[in-house]
Amino acid sequence: MRTIAVILLLFPYLIFSQTDWVKWEAKQISYEQKREIIPSSSANGLGTKLASGLQKVYKFFISDLDGDNCPFYPSCSTFFVESVNETGLIKGSLMFADRFIRDLNFFKGSNDYPKHVSGKYYDPAYNYTLISQKIKYFTGDSVVKE
Amino acid sequence: MILLLKNKVISQNLICLIILVFFFQGKIFSQQINGLNLGASPESYSAASDGELYPILSSAEAEREGGLKDNLLSTGNRLKFADYLFQQEDYLRALNEYREFLRYEDNDSVRYRLAESFFRIGRFNEAADNFKGLFFGSDLSDEAILGFYKSSFFKGNYKEFRELTATPIYMPDKYVTEINRLYFISHFMDNTLPYDTAKLFTAFPDSNRQEVKNFYRSRKFSEYKSPVTAALLSVAIPGLGKVYAGEVGDGITSFITTGLLVFLSVNNFDHDHNFRGWLFAGMAALSYGGTIYGSAASAQIYNAGIKFNLDNEIKLYFEKRNYFLPKLEF
Repeated sequence: MRTIAVILLLFPYLIFSQTDWVKWEAKQISYEQKREIIPSSSANGLGTKLASGLQKVYKFFISDLDGDNCPFYPSCSTFFVESVNETGLIKGSLMFADRFIRDLNFFKGSNDYPKHVSGKYYDPAYNYTLISQKIKYFTGDSVVKE
Repeated sequence: MILLLKNKVISQNLICLIILVFFFQGKIFSQQINGLNLGASPESYSAASDGELYPILSSAEAEREGGLKDNLLSTGNRLKFADYLFQQEDYLRALNEYREFLRYEDNDSVRYRLAESFFRIGRFNEAADNFKGLFFGSDLSDEAILGFYKSSFFKGNYKEFRELTATPIYMPDKYVTEINRLYFISHFMDNTLPYDTAKLFTAFPDSNRQEVKNFYRSRKFSEYKSPVTAALLSVAIPGLGKVYAGEVGDGITSFITTGLLVFLSVNNFDHDHNFRGWLFAGMAALSYGGTIYGSAASAQIYNAGIKFNLDNEIKLYFEKRNYFLPKLEF
């Protein structure tokens, strides 16, 4: 029994461990962290100002410490600001709630999201405004540079 | 050791010998080239070898060179070059050459090729204008009218194109079928298909009719998902609308999240933790509302995907068949 347990533990270790028989190569890695473009609040956008304020608080107390963990582009907090900016506070909050649930989905890889150049899933706010003319459809295998 | 040294000496000698051979060969070769240079006379060769960069041409040679220069820029040569560029699909340069040619000589065939060059690089407005110039009093009048309609079609404003086809004075007898077919293809492109299909299907060749019929069916009766139905389904069971819109994983996640938050809210109220109870109730309400909203949005995105794929499929189909346009030799 113990042997089986050891084999079961070792098996994934062997699969995911560094292989010596594959030739190593130099990778071009950029450690530059690009800031996301946060929509500027319009003059009448009280909701946007509120959302931006909330985002700043979240960024300062949580995100900056926790790191860039959102698998989507734009990140959930930026998506919230964008959606409030595009549709208003109530509709924007619903859009954010929907996005948050989609973020919780463990199987989001199967959703056929297009990829952003940053390697994240591209999921912009304008696709969820319920205005069909605004939807920009990208196939799952496309890479978006917006 | 002695053997090695001996070998080393031998190899060094060999290398020196090879270098010497190459050096002398190179010198002889360069002399030969200089001698052959532009068929220069021995006098000019001697002048060149005395340190001058270029050999001096005799008066007869200079005359010959000048004549060749004149010939190169002659209209005939320019047309040949333009045609060559056209054949090489270098349309941008070809049209410049055609323009230059047309400054000196008028030729309908060249004007047609100029318009065609504009068409092939996607400058459809200029192509249409140039085709227009051949409408009257030209042997290529019918072809030019077809080119004009073709350019108008490729501009992408299909409504405007259909309005143009309604003007019968332009319509050439020779290409009525082709223009009529483009008219129906334009309906496919912007999804404004007529219900009267009798004329629509007969416009296409028999061999392609079945495929066109299939596209018609796909366009008219696409399996779109209703955003309202998706939202209502999520009202009944959170996440069901997402499953209906094809997002099964999101639907299950929505159901679990909303259910868990409702359970936490009820449980906290049961244990007299009213603040936590209201907090979770608010979160559950947001999750529920977000799920309903998201279901409708998912259905819309699903529909956009269906439309996008069908548009691409139809466009590729017609593109592959060159929109059933004839290949004109001119």
